[in-house]
Amino acid sequence: MMTTPRRALALATAGALALAACGEAPDEEPTDEVEETEDAEVDDEPDEDADDADAEDPDADDADDEADDEVAADAEDFQACQITDTGGVDDRSFNQTVWEGFQQAEEELGIEIAVLESESEADFDPNIRAFIDRGCDLIVTVGFLLGEATEQAAQENPEQLFAIVDFAFEDTYDNVREIVFETDEAGFLAGYVSAGTTETGTIGTYGGINIPTVSIFMDGYLAGAEYYNDEHGTDVAVEGWDGNDGLFTGDFESQDEGRRVTDSLLEGGADIIMPVAGPVGLGSATAIEDFGEGLLIWVDTDGYVSAPEFSDLMLTSVLKRMDVASFTVIEEVMNDEFEGGIFAGDLENEGVGIADFHDHEDTVPDEVKDALDDLEQGIIDGEISVDPADY
Amino acid sequence: MTTATLQTPEELARRNRRFGMFSVLCAALMAGVFATVPAGSQATFVLTAARGELIELPNLVVGVTPAVLVMAAGVLAIAVVQFTRGFGSRTVLMAAVVAALLVTAFLTWAAAGDSVSLISLFRGTVRSATPIALGAMCGVMCERAGVINIAIEGQLVAGAFAAAITSTVFASAWIGLGGGIAAGMLIGGMLALLTIKFRADQIVSGVVLWVLAVGTTSFLATQVLGRDAARFNTPVRFPTVEIRGLSQIPILGPVLFRHTIIGYAMFIAVALLTYALFQTRWGLRLRSVGEHPKAADTVGIKVLATRYKAVILGGAFAGIGGAWFTLDATGQFSREMSGGRGFIALAAMLVGRYSPVGAFGAALLFGFASGLATSVQQLPVPIPSTLMLTAPYLITILVVAGLVGRLRPPAATGKPYVKE
Repeated sequence: MMTTPRRALALATAGALALAACGEAPDEEPTDEVEETEDAEVDDEPDEDADDADAEDPDADDADDEADDEVAADAEDFQACQITDTGGVDDRSFNQTVWEGFQQAEEELGIEIAVLESESEADFDPNIRAFIDRGCDLIVTVGFLLGEATEQAAQENPEQLFAIVDFAFEDTYDNVREIVFETDEAGFLAGYVSAGTTETGTIGTYGGINIPTVSIFMDGYLAGAEYYNDEHGTDVAVEGWDGNDGLFTGDFESQDEGRRVTDSLLEGGADIIMPVAGPVGLGSATAIEDFGEGLLIWVDTDGYVSAPEFSDLMLTSVLKRMDVASFTVIEEVMNDEFEGGIFAGDLENEGVGIADFHDHEDTVPDEVKDALDDLEQGIIDGEISVDPADY
Repeated sequence: MTTATLQTPEELARRNRRFGMFSVLCAALMAGVFATVPAGSQATFVLTAARGELIELPNLVVGVTPAVLVMAAGVLAIAVVQFTRGFGSRTVLMAAVVAALLVTAFLTWAAAGDSVSLISLFRGTVRSATPIALGAMCGVMCERAGVINIAIEGQLVAGAFAAAITSTVFASAWIGLGGGIAAGMLIGGMLALLTIKFRADQIVSGVVLWVLAVGTTSFLATQVLGRDAARFNTPVRFPTVEIRGLSQIPILGPVLFRHTIIGYAMFIAVALLTYALFQTRWGLRLRSVGEHPKAADTVGIKVLATRYKAVILGGAFAGIGGAWFTLDATGQFSREMSGGRGFIALAAMLVGRYSPVGAFGAALLFGFASGLATSVQQLPVPIPSTLMLTAPYLITILVVAGLVGRLRPPAATGKPYVKE
């Protein structure tokens, strides 16, 4: 479910042959070594190839040992370590947001921070292991896809503290903080705004992969639009999500797929589109530029800031303040207040929300803007449902 | 390229029987499943693009049940003829007709009570096919000269990366295209060096170069592009060039004649390579080197030099395909953005039996499957989106298993040439 066939094919080939490559292609080894050295030395930088090195080369263990020694020499330092999913730390989306929380902690709390990026799902386990060996005080794994790997590592290493973003386990572990976000609450507001702003009467959304942390945005978006329809007797259609299934590109990398899917939505009459697909969403911005009409709802971060080249297309953004959450958890650990279990970001604690309208302050009708505060309160009080099944 | 397959009469007879059974099954599926919708359901096919059209065709509205039953009857008729008389040399063509009818019936069923834009579907097909077809052209060139190229994916991602950075720095899409081509050729050159000079295992060399390209571009994307996107990762893109007059032809216009220069380059590349490989002395020599290098050597063809040229020049096609990602489809590089299209290109080359036109056809088929998945996911059908996303792969398996005969690759492919 989580792996696209393309990736699976690619990875299977790579897995089988990359190993062989080390033994058989002496021409390539110098390159590998160069990359490896960088991994060992540039510890607090987002290093790309640590996982490659781990998977391919037995020497990688030595690199980790060296890192351990450094830590031991400076044991007072608190180390917070992040493991990204396959999106990478510069994805202008959720991995990056968590990393920003880390950077804030580095600056304000004076801790050491480190990140390992996962090139593929096969890297999850080795990355977690590398950080455990390194002696991180807190390991933050980012993304739903890391759920299984994190749960297993947490069970096997009860002394190691973890936090996982975007995943809630069935059981609660004393050493894992599960950071989840009620993004449907904020998605609801975005859906309401979109329905109140559209000129064509059609709005659209699509996701990367149909997993709960993606579809929850779409659920809220759909519910918000439906609520608007009920309230105003309008008939705004939401393309791309029906409450159970919808439009997906199949991964979080292929921007051009996002572009093609957006072409299709625009062609179908949608004029406001919310991509929930990390960097793939940038493909939508290009599609809208070429089409000449349409607006975007960005997700996770404020797209006006994180994708400045497309700031004029951003109607608003559904914020998922993972930087705040990761910073908070780091603080908890430092103050010995860490406890296992769920940490839920919602409208009430401002863990989620929608961004300013920036350039489109005048595009959104005043009555829609005025209604937002009441809506927000209604959602917080539980008077307004954000579940599309209720509409 | 019928010359690229070996088929005995028994194999042909077996294939014909299989095709007949397949047609009957299709007809049954269409009548039994796709025709069963609430009575009076209609499907709407939109035939004009949302923008830029002078002539607006009316939407095509059909009753789902009658339309699907007519198609099922057509398929059944083909099956009957197949069993009684047979289509002989036109069997493959008829198989394509059956498959097309099956897909049309499926789409009609899916669109019951809703509408689907055929323009969007077909334009998406050509768009998706572009990097695949260009990558496959690279594969054809290499393989015809006797070198297996698994690194197409790496060439695409390197092309995308180099195109993005050069286009941004020099503020010119054309220079960006040049950068993409150079990156594709560079990796081609490395592959040539490893496989021709050092006679390394071709599969392993290809995979290594792929890993190298993905790793390096991802690393630089974070370290360089990510640090200052405005300076390095905001490429000038190619504008869409409408071909005057032709772009206003209903249906065909928006699908074929509204592309960027890279979109047109794909069509030109296919034509050019077909001509060059099969009509020129250069092409004959290239193919001879892939088929029987020793014989070629004896008549004075420089085997190694020919292979070098083919692999490096082939890299240019993959480089253009890579540039498509950042100069056409989207306006910035992001890591691994080629998303496995290089491997699909490899499959397209095989399905197309090492011929440029065949590979292009296969690329269109993959593109169509992706486009179909996108269209159907927007329709209220009880098919999980995850299943629809596998459509390109399912179709490949069907095509490879059912329609393509046994493959005969160039005889010397994969083998380094050692002069005795």
